[in-house]
Amino acid sequence: MAYLELKNVSKTFTNVVAVKDFTLDIEKGSLVSFLGPSGCGKTTTLRMIAGFEQPDSGTIILDGVDITPIPPNQRDIGMVFQAYALFPNMTVRQNVAFGLQMKKTPKDELEKRVKDVLEMVRLQETAKRFPHELSGGQQQRVALARALAVRPRVLLLDEPLSALDAEVRVALRGEIRRIQSELAITTIYVTHDQEEALSISDRVVVMDKGLIQQVGTPIEIYRSPQTRFVATFIGTANQFFGKVAGKKLIVSDGLKILVAKMNSFKEGEEVVVLVRPESIHVTTEQQKREGWNSISGVVETVTFHGAVTRLGVNVNNRRIVADIVAAKTEPISLNQKVWLMFPIDVCQVMAKEG
Amino acid sequence: MEKNNIVAPLSKSKNKRKPALWQIILIFIFLFYMLVPILSTYIFSVATRWDRTILPEGLTLNSYARAFKASYFNSSLRNSMILSLSTVFVSLCLIIPTVYWVHIRFPAAKSFLEVLMILPFGIPTVVLALALVQAYNVTPIGRTPFLLIGAVFIYSMPFMYRPVANALRAIDAHTLTEAGQSLGATTFQILMKVIIPNIFPGIISGSLLVFATVFAEFTLTKLIIGARFKTFPLLLVEYTRINGNVAAAFSVISFTIAWLVSLLILWVSRKGQGASAEALRAR
Repeated sequence: MAYLELKNVSKTFTNVVAVKDFTLDIEKGSLVSFLGPSGCGKTTTLRMIAGFEQPDSGTIILDGVDITPIPPNQRDIGMVFQAYALFPNMTVRQNVAFGLQMKKTPKDELEKRVKDVLEMVRLQETAKRFPHELSGGQQQRVALARALAVRPRVLLLDEPLSALDAEVRVALRGEIRRIQSELAITTIYVTHDQEEALSISDRVVVMDKGLIQQVGTPIEIYRSPQTRFVATFIGTANQFFGKVAGKKLIVSDGLKILVAKMNSFKEGEEVVVLVRPESIHVTTEQQKREGWNSISGVVETVTFHGAVTRLGVNVNNRRIVADIVAAKTEPISLNQKVWLMFPIDVCQVMAKEG
Repeated sequence: MEKNNIVAPLSKSKNKRKPALWQIILIFIFLFYMLVPILSTYIFSVATRWDRTILPEGLTLNSYARAFKASYFNSSLRNSMILSLSTVFVSLCLIIPTVYWVHIRFPAAKSFLEVLMILPFGIPTVVLALALVQAYNVTPIGRTPFLLIGAVFIYSMPFMYRPVANALRAIDAHTLTEAGQSLGATTFQILMKVIIPNIFPGIISGSLLVFATVFAEFTLTKLIIGARFKTFPLLLVEYTRINGNVAAAFSVISFTIAWLVSLLILWVSRKGQGASAEALRAR
């Protein structure tokens, strides 16, 4: 039995379906991300787990107990907010001690725990300062320490890094993962940033329009997206719309694309083939390779991204993007004719709709 | 380009033109309008005779001596203090939790509350007083100071509501409340330890306004309770019929007391707030 279970949880706000039939098991000690565009229901789901919203139907079970009717202050679930939500009238130490005081923790124990969590987030020296005297990143670390001090059963993080600079964001997400693993605390992390979700999670729940699109490890989500939404929301994917024309053949606008697995699609069905830009090899001369697709086009854009260079290639008046590692590839210039090569097993076939 | 950058601050300071003549005149008219009544009250309270000359014929502190010696001086002052402080207390206890509760749980009721808070301005005080007297005469609190406190509470409600509501709007009360809840605090604990300290400046200005308003309240007191609970304004009005100079002295004393109490409340609140006031100012 999983530690935290959500069973058929639904929530509607004045005719807008926020979350629909959400069912998920979360293992103890794991970090699960809810990932999706804004309005996909990820924050609403998190707020129902925290107890700030009541589901219209369904149950939330924590450690075998139905917590749906329990008020938020009795759930033992910690929360970190996007806007930090530190108490402005209290020092860092007082903020961190607040939850422990509410639990009537003995003084010695309280002092020790405050000291420990502040050490954990590396902010011992700021204990006497007020929130407004700290940087955004520091404030969010205090918020994390405050949530952890009471040793909650589950830690919820609601877009905790969205308000921070890129550099702080990357550093802090590493910190969050380190602390989470150290304490082995069951954590749910809500974000709209795919890179963030992929880099720190044990499992990722991709959501759209109130529905779970896919649940899986970051690698599964990236490599084997199950829906077109997941494939296009996570990373970039070239889409070839076409019809099944053979056992392993799809014809798209005159292009013949071979795929390794047709899944259950039958001849004549409309499908879409997805190919990630980094799976495409770019050559200046046509090469024949067994098990590879090869299509030709003209380079229209060349964008330098540092580690990779992204090419925009016109193939039959359609833009295909391919990432090349500049150091490993011969120089390619604008308006050059190139061949795009990609193995048949990187081609993902999925239904046109959905 | 560079030249422009250097010139810019200079031209900016040059742009700070002196106010036009009409602006200065307007300001003077305004100050004159505001200050003349106060100044003349002050002068009148120390004047001997002031009806035949532009300036008083002589100066004396006799009016003050008479004011301090007036029967009911101490009791009316005490009654006014009791009335004002009780009303501030009732206001604090009722308005703050209500405004917070509506803000957090019933945002839909906010517009209703707004309308409710304008009502005291719309109802003539005489009507309010007579209606209350009619309604409560049969009950034990009819014509008692308790009914009066209730009445002046209604009358002064907007003065507490407005600053408290504004202060609450300025902080993210929702998220702070949720943060408190996730840490195991009850709504009451959150109100006392988190919300009130963060809206303290609003609470203080509300208290000052209520205190000052109630301290100078005449109509409700006169009509609801009359001579049985004589307050300072009642005594003052009585003296306008006996001796204008003494009445002026009363006005000055009343004004000074209100002013001193305001200072006291400010001083106490600053002391109580300490560093957190600093934190709030910084935002």
